Amino acid sequence: MSKQKALENYSFIFPSFLLTMVLGIYPILWAIHYMFYDYKGYGEKLFIGLSNFKRLWYDELFWNSVWNTLIYAGGKIVITIPISLILAVILNRKIRGHNLLRAIYFMPTVISTAVISVVFFIIFNSYNGLLNQFLQKLGIISSSVEWLGPKYAMLTVIIVAIWGAIGNYMLLFLAGLQSIPEDLYESASIDGANAVHKFWYVTVPMLGPVMQMIILLAITISLKGYESIMVLTEGGPIGKTDVMFLYVYKLLFPVSTGSVYIQEIGYGSAVGFATAIIVGLVTCVYFILSKKMNKIY
Amino acid sequence: MKRSHSMLLLAIILLMVLSACSSGNTNKQTNESDSNSERSGKNQQASSGEKTKLVYWTFDRHDADFIKETVDRYNASNEDNIHVEVKSMAENYAQSVDIAFASGQSPDILRPNQDTMIPFMKKEYLEPLDSYLTDEMKQKFEATFQDQVNQFDGKIYSLPNFGYTLRLVYNVELFEKAGIEKPPASLDELVDAAKKITDVGKADGQYGFALNFKSPKSALDRSAREILQLSGYDGFGFDHKTAKFDFTPYKEVIEAFKQMKDDGSMLPGVESLDIDPLRAQFAEGKIGMYLSYSAEAGVYSSQFPAKIEWAATLAPTITGEIKGTSGFANSGQWLAISSQSKYKEEAWKFLSFMYSDETLQAYHEKGLGLSAVPTIASNAKAPELTGVDGFLISEYDALWPVPPAVTVEGLNYGDVFLKYILGGGDLDEAVSDLNQRYNSALDKATASGEIKVTPDASFDPIKLQGSMLAK
Repeated sequence: MSKQKALENYSFIFPSFLLTMVLGIYPILWAIHYMFYDYKGYGEKLFIGLSNFKRLWYDELFWNSVWNTLIYAGGKIVITIPISLILAVILNRKIRGHNLLRAIYFMPTVISTAVISVVFFIIFNSYNGLLNQFLQKLGIISSSVEWLGPKYAMLTVIIVAIWGAIGNYMLLFLAGLQSIPEDLYESASIDGANAVHKFWYVTVPMLGPVMQMIILLAITISLKGYESIMVLTEGGPIGKTDVMFLYVYKLLFPVSTGSVYIQEIGYGSAVGFATAIIVGLVTCVYFILSKKMNKIY
Repeated sequence: MKRSHSMLLLAIILLMVLSACSSGNTNKQTNESDSNSERSGKNQQASSGEKTKLVYWTFDRHDADFIKETVDRYNASNEDNIHVEVKSMAENYAQSVDIAFASGQSPDILRPNQDTMIPFMKKEYLEPLDSYLTDEMKQKFEATFQDQVNQFDGKIYSLPNFGYTLRLVYNVELFEKAGIEKPPASLDELVDAAKKITDVGKADGQYGFALNFKSPKSALDRSAREILQLSGYDGFGFDHKTAKFDFTPYKEVIEAFKQMKDDGSMLPGVESLDIDPLRAQFAEGKIGMYLSYSAEAGVYSSQFPAKIEWAATLAPTITGEIKGTSGFANSGQWLAISSQSKYKEEAWKFLSFMYSDETLQAYHEKGLGLSAVPTIASNAKAPELTGVDGFLISEYDALWPVPPAVTVEGLNYGDVFLKYILGGGDLDEAVSDLNQRYNSALDKATASGEIKVTPDASFDPIKLQGSMLAK
């Protein structure tokens, strides 16, 4: 490559490189620097070595948030992926109004998470929530169920997350489905395969690589999700829905109504680093375990 | 052709980089020559007849119209050629201020509050006001000067305007329906009243008591706080006599709250209830009682117009006997001058207008907040708000010394007590654990010099009674 050509190529990369450095790499380095300090956002920053990690090791709130994150992400993925796939398969057919239905299912993805959460609060709250009123009218329950109480809060936030995510993954599956050659279904039909057979023996294997990436995306997004939880429960009651990224957020940005923490930039950075490691590890394990999905026979 | 394209591209990139660098240099130069430009800027503005523009950032929303009108009046009437521009930064105020200071673009006038005052101070954002304060002003505000609130190392950084009293807010109609003749004065009476209201109202979705337990600490800081303070204890678990944390006095209050929860007297779903949904339910007549700040009077006039007759009264005490005073909350700070402002003298002139009797009195009378300044509170007319009577400052309201803010590891007291209220357990053990963790955090903070605490064996909150009334 000529020198001039190389220069031209680098000049194309330069803007995105600059943005990545400033908005991506610099904050990471900044956080890595502060995780060895006791720093509250003002005054002197005190070097404390690995003390923040020692504290983290014994921090019940952090491990509670890790556990909650795994339940939240697991629950969300296990339900969202199959439903999205089934919906995509159905809407991939030329049924009447399939475009409208696709748009309707995709709609939650473009609505603000805060708005979705407020709407779900109106549905799920115990004192005048629509769900309780509906169930009481049908005679299924006699008194209000505390959907956002300690017993059911996690289930509720998972339901909200599923509702918000299905349309997005459905769209990705649709893109994958459209890349499967029609000939395969025709051959399967000639061999006497019914719709279920075609789904299991043609659609699912052919979607392997796409599905691997979609699940990967779902894992990382679910492990990092906290916005709807922040609006619905703020991690409560008594920490039952506190997830990793919400815990980090509350440590780093505490000056808000109802906030109960003092800003801890040092410890917050350490917790943020640990959560990134956990997300990375889970993703790596998944990637190794899902290698087979990448092979289309 | 190719060559000219690549050269053009390179030129654009270089231009972008250079312009970024040069603007950085300009900023640097601006910062370095702040003091020069402060002087020369004034001269230039004076000579050219241009107005001195001051920027005032606030996060208050409830008084936005009043502030705008007042500032407009000041802009039209002041003879110092000053023009003030108000910016309402309702969300992320503290972060916006941080960014502004980091980039050398701070507003001239800031609005610190109880949460941001200490961080702003420690980040050196605020200018001491001592050199500007006249003797007359010092005398007017003297009773409101408080260490770690608006005074640090003997210097004043902000002056108060308004604050909040804390009261029991109750639905008069539900009290009548349940046959309750007077508001509860003790915890036993509170539990009993909540049960009676629920017994007669549950069929209509009416419950005796509620709190905004979505934010447990916020809920206790507006409820248990004044019950404890009126009973003679600190409302944040700090014993001023020993300068140590001791959450033991909370036990009886928490037991009473748990009793109401176990009795089914609390509104269902309190654990996920925020303050605004709580208010909405109270305005609809679904809640018999709750405890909160005097801001509620304004809330039921405009935000959630109350469909019921309601009133406010002093919170109950543990035994029914008043042995202390209810804290006057969030009152120490209002406006402050930025340490980075080029126009500090002009900013002070504006502050003098905002802190004038006329402005403060109008603020109080319009019901935007109860005046924290004794002479204003006693001379002004009662605010024009329904239900505000019960919130007015009485002999049982006082400014309490501020407990130290410590970084405690593990659950804070709000979460610990909510856990007990919802799920039971061993309260003695929970209190002992809280005492141990809070005092350990306090010891750490005092050892590092971050916090200074001094025991005051003579501290007696009953002596604070009447301290907020003008002498």
